[in-house]
Amino acid sequence: MLFDAFVRRRRFVLLVMLCILSLAVLTDQIRSPGKRRIGWLGLAVEAALTPAAAGLSHATGIVAEGWTLVTEIGRLRSENARLAAEVARLREENARLQEAAEEAARLRGLLAFKEQPYRTVAARLIGRDPGHWFDTLLVDRGLADAIRRNDPVLTSEGLVGHVIETAGSWARVLLIQDPRSAVGVFVGKGRDAGVAEGQGQPVLRVRYLSRDADIHPGDAVVTAGLGEIYPRGLPVGTVVGVMRTEGELFQEAVVRPGADLSHVEEMLILVGGTPQVPR
Amino acid sequence: MMRYAAYAIVVAALLIVQMTWLARLTVGGAAPNPLQVLVMSVGLLHGSEEGALVGAGVGLLQDVVGGGPLGLGMLAELCVGFAAGLGERVIYMENIWLPVLGAVALSALHTAVWAAAAHLVGMLQAPILEVARVGALGACYNGLVAVPIFRGLRYVDMALVRGHEDSR
Repeated sequence: MLFDAFVRRRRFVLLVMLCILSLAVLTDQIRSPGKRRIGWLGLAVEAALTPAAAGLSHATGIVAEGWTLVTEIGRLRSENARLAAEVARLREENARLQEAAEEAARLRGLLAFKEQPYRTVAARLIGRDPGHWFDTLLVDRGLADAIRRNDPVLTSEGLVGHVIETAGSWARVLLIQDPRSAVGVFVGKGRDAGVAEGQGQPVLRVRYLSRDADIHPGDAVVTAGLGEIYPRGLPVGTVVGVMRTEGELFQEAVVRPGADLSHVEEMLILVGGTPQVPR
Repeated sequence: MMRYAAYAIVVAALLIVQMTWLARLTVGGAAPNPLQVLVMSVGLLHGSEEGALVGAGVGLLQDVVGGGPLGLGMLAELCVGFAAGLGERVIYMENIWLPVLGAVALSALHTAVWAAAAHLVGMLQAPILEVARVGALGACYNGLVAVPIFRGLRYVDMALVRGHEDSR
């Protein structure tokens, strides 16, 4: 009797079982990307797909570069003249900066400033999460290049995120705008401490800022180095809005990341830092 | 068995294209999801059970390869496969509009299940209107790619059946 009922409703029983299974998997690692373990099967799938994805991405890049070259020849002439003037200006600026750098080096020596023990590895984008709400990138550097879990990733414009998975020749980067990301930061000239959380949108929200903190749009936001992943002083972005709610203990700031996270193609991974967490 | 091997190859190819090309072709934050259309097609052609199983597998694979939270895509895709399968033997498969309308309707279901599950575990930060807007755009996008994928999968199925009959 019970068996007959089971057979009659087999597909619904299957649906319920699969739903329970997926929710169990989901709730196990949802708020903590550090707990995301894809296992040997997932690593095998990634290892099988990544070379093809890298090849396709590379081929696409070559075609796109060729197309850009053809379409931009006319513009390059005027660009060349503008760049020549820019080079002259930068040479002059470079001379001034070199002098300033020498002065900084002397002062650093006086203060016994310890250099950050990091080196950088350049990485190229292979693929990205096609979904709109979670933001991860796949890059072409991995364990073979000494990339480890939790290594910070940045561009010249600012912080991009950190490595959450790595294997032979690839690594997955969790962007700072992903809802699972939280970065300890200092905001503005007062260096008020807060936590920049991803929203799954192009802006971050900095929470837990003191209500008395003097924060304005345009203030710079840098990493605080208080967590276990990011070193101190990496540029994160710029404040674009401040929210103070009556009766709240804290205020919040809306921050636009410095790096163009939607179009980032090349990035630097900081490796070789003193590991502060198990990798 | 041959059919599943063929499906695995199609899924791998679509996944690579989705990661490398389609992820860059976003319009208003939405990108096409050809694997969702594939799951819908499997459900329509082979029923709820197979649709749900293939959906769960494909969704989990997308979660693994895409870097999102494991289980979220799995839940949404298995619901799509199951719901599509309810139309097996009920819907006229030759209807030219079937893949388009099916893809649009099931994309809406996908977005609803995904948003509900994400909200349940506290991962939905965006306003619900924004979710609806991106979901609607994604549904239109999926409607555009649905016809070739649905027809292609039917062609693969029929070619495998013909090959099997010829070998007898």
